Amino acid sequence: MPGSRAESGTASSNATAEEDVVRVANQPMMIRLKHVVFGAIGLPVVLLLGAWIGFFNVGASSGHWKVTAWFLQLAMRSAVRTYALAVDAPKTLDRRGLPAAAGHFARGCAICHGAPGELRSPAVLRMLPQPPDLALTVGDWTDAQLFRIVKHGIRFTGMPAWPARDRDDEVWAMVAFLRELPKLDPNEFRVLALNGSDATDSDRQPATPDVISDCVRCHGGDGEGRGDAVPALAGQKEAYLLASLQAYAKGDRTSGFMALPVTGIAPDEMAALARYFATLPPASGEHDQIPAEVINGGRQIAEAGIPERNVPACAGCHIGSDKNPIYPRLDGQHAAYLEQQLKLFRSESRGGTPFWHIMATAAQRLTDDDIRAVSAYFSKRAENSQQPP
Amino acid sequence: MSANAGLPLGFAFWFLAYGSSWVAAEELGHQQAKVVKPAIEPVAPAAPQSSNPTASQDPPGSGLSLFLSNGCGACHTIRGTEARGTIGPDLSHVGSRTAIGAGVLPNTEEAFARFVARPDLFKPGVKMPAFDMLPQTEIQTIARYLKALQ
Repeated sequence: MPGSRAESGTASSNATAEEDVVRVANQPMMIRLKHVVFGAIGLPVVLLLGAWIGFFNVGASSGHWKVTAWFLQLAMRSAVRTYALAVDAPKTLDRRGLPAAAGHFARGCAICHGAPGELRSPAVLRMLPQPPDLALTVGDWTDAQLFRIVKHGIRFTGMPAWPARDRDDEVWAMVAFLRELPKLDPNEFRVLALNGSDATDSDRQPATPDVISDCVRCHGGDGEGRGDAVPALAGQKEAYLLASLQAYAKGDRTSGFMALPVTGIAPDEMAALARYFATLPPASGEHDQIPAEVINGGRQIAEAGIPERNVPACAGCHIGSDKNPIYPRLDGQHAAYLEQQLKLFRSESRGGTPFWHIMATAAQRLTDDDIRAVSAYFSKRAENSQQPP
Repeated sequence: MSANAGLPLGFAFWFLAYGSSWVAAEELGHQQAKVVKPAIEPVAPAAPQSSNPTASQDPPGSGLSLFLSNGCGACHTIRGTEARGTIGPDLSHVGSRTAIGAGVLPNTEEAFARFVARPDLFKPGVKMPAFDMLPQTEIQTIARYLKALQ
């Protein structure tokens, strides 16, 4: 080796030999530097040039190279797996939001991902990457991973993020529905998602806009709300319904489920929808078995508040026909819906009409037990129980 | 040469350009999501209508009926009315106090209106929420009513 020869004391130390050693020892270093310089400056310049002259084909028609497709799949699956580690998945999924989630799937997701009895459109099959038929592929993912995908979407694909922030409850409802999806036959899917679809067309009032088919998918033809997570609208105050639709349209009230159907409703159609649901006969209250002491606790909060914790009585705004019509009627409303809304108010992630922060102020003084009790009480409370008919 | 040859290189380029900000952009993406709103013409919020005349002997639109219909009675007491709340101060004679808002505002109709709209501006940590979403005329009517409570 040249190095060992140079260090050995027996070799002659003339200038030629030393020069030789230095040149041989430095040669690999020179080549590495060149590579680094080329890599750091040359390659990006070449790539930028390539992009600038339009060298890279961005067409979807020819597909990825196998190696590109493999790499992208690897990166996507690994990222979902890693980021899902931070997702705190419930042990059992709440199934009360299934009808709303199914309705949302039929309207927003099925066009790309297919549905029982509904093939993906040929146009969608020419997307790159091609959106998967979810009935076949949801089994590949855990609940937490599905949550991650539905909430955040997937970059460089057509998969959008959830249209409302701070509505993890809706995303979990979607995950619960996706778990059901592979088990559904076309008929079961139509019943779950579309409420039998055209059931309401015949008895619809002439003044009702066509967009009502979007409403009844989740709120029901009778306006009573399909599934406990969906509010009953029948008999609700018209001013509140209109102000809420406007709040959804402006983004002042957050909901991914509502964000889609509310898009494109004209202001006069909103007024007609509010009038339509306000005139339907109100729901008759729920028949779930709720312990009497829970109901009584709820009645106490509703009628007298919790003065020591500065919780005003709900009745001050929500009971009686002499109250501001923008304050909603709560009698007979689904308990699960009321609970969820109170928790959203409490975390200030709901928004709503211009009056929402009054409710947020009150909700922030409620415990989970208070919320459960007062929601149960109003779900049982009969319409006009304090007034003569 | 197939134009596809550029794809792996293209991806490498994209990764160089965006990959480093991948994780940071996660947060940014969340921020951007906040401003995504349905493409709808903003419409004016429904103006709260005055109270239902059948339920109260007070004329609709009067100071007391506005006070009760907007829920003020859940926290405040005004003796001789349905307002029996105990969370906030008793307002039965509030119009004869020397000052309001823990002494920071004079006892005038104008001061009542300003306090009802934004109590937090005058009394930090106040338990009462702002009512500045009410139409100004309704706030004025309530203020006039409160000032008259001697």
